[in-house]
Amino acid sequence: MSLPLDARPGGRIPWHVAAVVLAATSAVIGVIWDISWHRSIGRDTFWTPAHLAIYLGGALAGAACGWHVLKTTFAGTAEQRAAGVSFWGFRGPLGAWVAIWGAIAMLASGPFDNWWHNAYGLDVKVLSPPHVILALGFTAIQLGALLLVLSLQNRAADAGRRTYGLLLAFGAGIVLQNLAIMGIEQIGFPNAAHNSLYYKVAGAAFPIVLLAVARASRLKWAATTAAAAYLAISMVMIWVLQLFPATPQLAPVFNPVTHMVAPPFPLLLVVPAAALDLLVQRLGPGRDWRLALLGGVTFLATFLVTQWFAAEFLLTPPARHFFFGVDQWDYSSQLGPWRYRFWRIQADPVTVRGMAVAASLAVASARLGLWWGNWMARVRR
Amino acid sequence: MTRGTALLAIAGVVLVASAHVGSPDTYFEGAAGPYLVRVMIRDPGVVPGLAQVTVRLLAPYAVRRVLVLPVYWDPRTAAPPPPDVAERVPGDSTLYSAALWLMSSGSYSVQVTVEGQAGTGAVLVPVLAVATQRLALDPRLGAALLALGALLFVGALTLVSAAVKESGLEPGALPDRRRTLRSRIAVALAAVVLALGLVGGRAWWNTVDAAYRTGLYEPFHATATLRADGRGRVLRLAIDDTSWTNPRRQWTPLIPDHGHLMHLFLVRDSSLDAFAHLHPLPLDSATFEAALPPLPPGRYRLYADIVHESGFAQTLVTTADITLPAATWRPSDPDDAWIGDTEERGTGAVSKLADGSIMSWQRGAAPIVVNQDAPLCFVVTHPGGKPAALEPYMGMAGHAMLTRYDGAVFVHLHPAGTVSLAALETFALRQPGDTVRGLLGARLTALEKGSGERGAVPDGAGRAPVEHRMEPLLAPSSLSFPYAFPQPGRYRMWVQVKRGGRILTAVFDTDVQSAR
Repeated sequence: MSLPLDARPGGRIPWHVAAVVLAATSAVIGVIWDISWHRSIGRDTFWTPAHLAIYLGGALAGAACGWHVLKTTFAGTAEQRAAGVSFWGFRGPLGAWVAIWGAIAMLASGPFDNWWHNAYGLDVKVLSPPHVILALGFTAIQLGALLLVLSLQNRAADAGRRTYGLLLAFGAGIVLQNLAIMGIEQIGFPNAAHNSLYYKVAGAAFPIVLLAVARASRLKWAATTAAAAYLAISMVMIWVLQLFPATPQLAPVFNPVTHMVAPPFPLLLVVPAAALDLLVQRLGPGRDWRLALLGGVTFLATFLVTQWFAAEFLLTPPARHFFFGVDQWDYSSQLGPWRYRFWRIQADPVTVRGMAVAASLAVASARLGLWWGNWMARVRR
Repeated sequence: MTRGTALLAIAGVVLVASAHVGSPDTYFEGAAGPYLVRVMIRDPGVVPGLAQVTVRLLAPYAVRRVLVLPVYWDPRTAAPPPPDVAERVPGDSTLYSAALWLMSSGSYSVQVTVEGQAGTGAVLVPVLAVATQRLALDPRLGAALLALGALLFVGALTLVSAAVKESGLEPGALPDRRRTLRSRIAVALAAVVLALGLVGGRAWWNTVDAAYRTGLYEPFHATATLRADGRGRVLRLAIDDTSWTNPRRQWTPLIPDHGHLMHLFLVRDSSLDAFAHLHPLPLDSATFEAALPPLPPGRYRLYADIVHESGFAQTLVTTADITLPAATWRPSDPDDAWIGDTEERGTGAVSKLADGSIMSWQRGAAPIVVNQDAPLCFVVTHPGGKPAALEPYMGMAGHAMLTRYDGAVFVHLHPAGTVSLAALETFALRQPGDTVRGLLGARLTALEKGSGERGAVPDGAGRAPVEHRMEPLLAPSSLSFPYAFPQPGRYRMWVQVKRGGRILTAVFDTDVQSAR
């Protein structure tokens, strides 16, 4: 049975979908803000605005989706119930369930993280087991947002597809942002851009999302749009955060910052994303292995060239400007010439072998992305 | 962190040695300008960690506010962060409290500033930030986390099942057998992947935990040896720790604490009936020697207090078997003292001193309870009851050493508290230019040598730039130590004072009860 034509989504965005997209955006902005907070001010409580933005993401997604599935289960029309999947006797769209799962994971990470800090000291690391659970939580909310939009896009009449496709690309941009944040220690700073590890991490992390959205979205330039959304969120955060005065609140202070430290300048993923969009347009479905191979290698080649030179520029004096927001360091940093150097280039230089590993990772990531994209293109509920 | 979790945190910890042994909290009494204050800093046990600071005004001063600020030892640090305002504890007009983050491992001092009608006064209280404990997971929290984890695990499998079976179907369509079968396979695969993820997560956690445990602070390893030479028995203490003997060590050099690079305490094991307080002389930066007093033979616990230029104070712990027969003793340092006939002197509230005078412990009738201010006040009198005048002993009214019978606690106290006065001096004298190791230490040593015996002398002679030196004796015949016992049990305490050029040691025993 398929829906009668007049029941197809026509570009309208249901409030619970809007709420989950907003929640995903709020959480990712909160995380960027929180990292800047820890680099500029240091001391925090549960009630910092950055934490509130993160937890608002969890609460909003959990509440909106919880309400939506309860309404669908107990008071929904037959069509509404039919447009959901069953979950422990309840019914609701898959994306809503994924977002609810994410909200619970975020909730669970709270006491775990608190204990972790008491047991091992307040970590200054982005990646720790409780932070990974928190990250799984808000990543699930992002995926929930994608799935909710996908079910709309994939059932939509032609009129609505462009709106949903754009929203989908925006959601994918948030996922890219999320990956860039989690990799901040490896791929965040331009000083790392002449290491093999930088390209291995980027090769593994990004093609999967870029190709999945290129395949699943009905936009012609979906991957490019997603990369542009990531770029836009990053730039806005760089410009806005720098405007706020901030004083370090924890000793020792080695670097007396006066304003919020800007997040690192974003990766110029729009270049490889545009190349991948072109490839997807040329090759089309049905030749996914070839597309994965070409896509992975193309990603790495374009990313390498772009970032290699972009990073060189970002370490020069003209880049030390409000616009780029570079050369801003934590209050606890002991400043030195390391700021303007490429790090660990003796220990981990860019080599042919290293790039071969990075390319293999990128190809594998691209293949996974196509599988994921193909599945997403079929999501109806 | 709520009070409840704080208590759990304290209950679940494994205490190990810190500066002092088994007594990680800092107690200080001194003058913040015109205000006499007692400061207590509860050690967080982890780094970065939150230290609870309480400031008690020792008189009902008219005070506007009390500020606390952590100062890190490294001279390269920029301006300190703004201070915290300590909140007045409700129901007690003289008690203020605040929580301070100590972010880096190493030596800090907490600057306490009191602003009031008599003006503004500040004092520095040295404190160490080292990881000394690992918090156990509270079973109830563990159970709650496990339940949430199980919910997430089963929920994730349900999501995979729904994604494969139903999400690709047009609304209303029912899954066929093929889809159902595929969803089951997907769930099985997802269960394997998730289980692998959990195993990996556990391995990660274990790695973090193991790294944390190896990074827990331990004082330098030291070894004591005994030999006889023409002049008598010589005790040698060697700091044979590679982190210190390594020529490219990260540690700052040692500095003298009231005139001595090392304060060494010997306590006869189990019986605690013999005690010595020596000041071994350095042969090099890792080897120290002292003439051994005629202590009775037996196994001794050794505690060696040293202070680094950073203000970092350590208590090294080792043991020594004293077997050689006692010989004549010519002290290698005039401040050395010992006592070997404890039982004849009495260990109650009154202790006879070697010159015939009497030290009484004004302990009151109330039991002594863990983590509550202990009444460590002592009065020295002539046999007839007349107050007996005290002379400064190494710059202060007296020294108190206390240990639990099983050795789990050992502390060296001064009237200023548990803090090392040398650490206090380093913070008071440090300048931004002191980036070369040894520079500050040399200045401190010159100061020590230049001023000689000084400080707590009642007439104020030998006034030095550091405020604690002006710390007054309550009366020339009495002395007190700010402290709270960290663990319950039976303790022995040695209180040393100087009279007529002689160092006199009193001995007291006490039981400390658990807090209820």
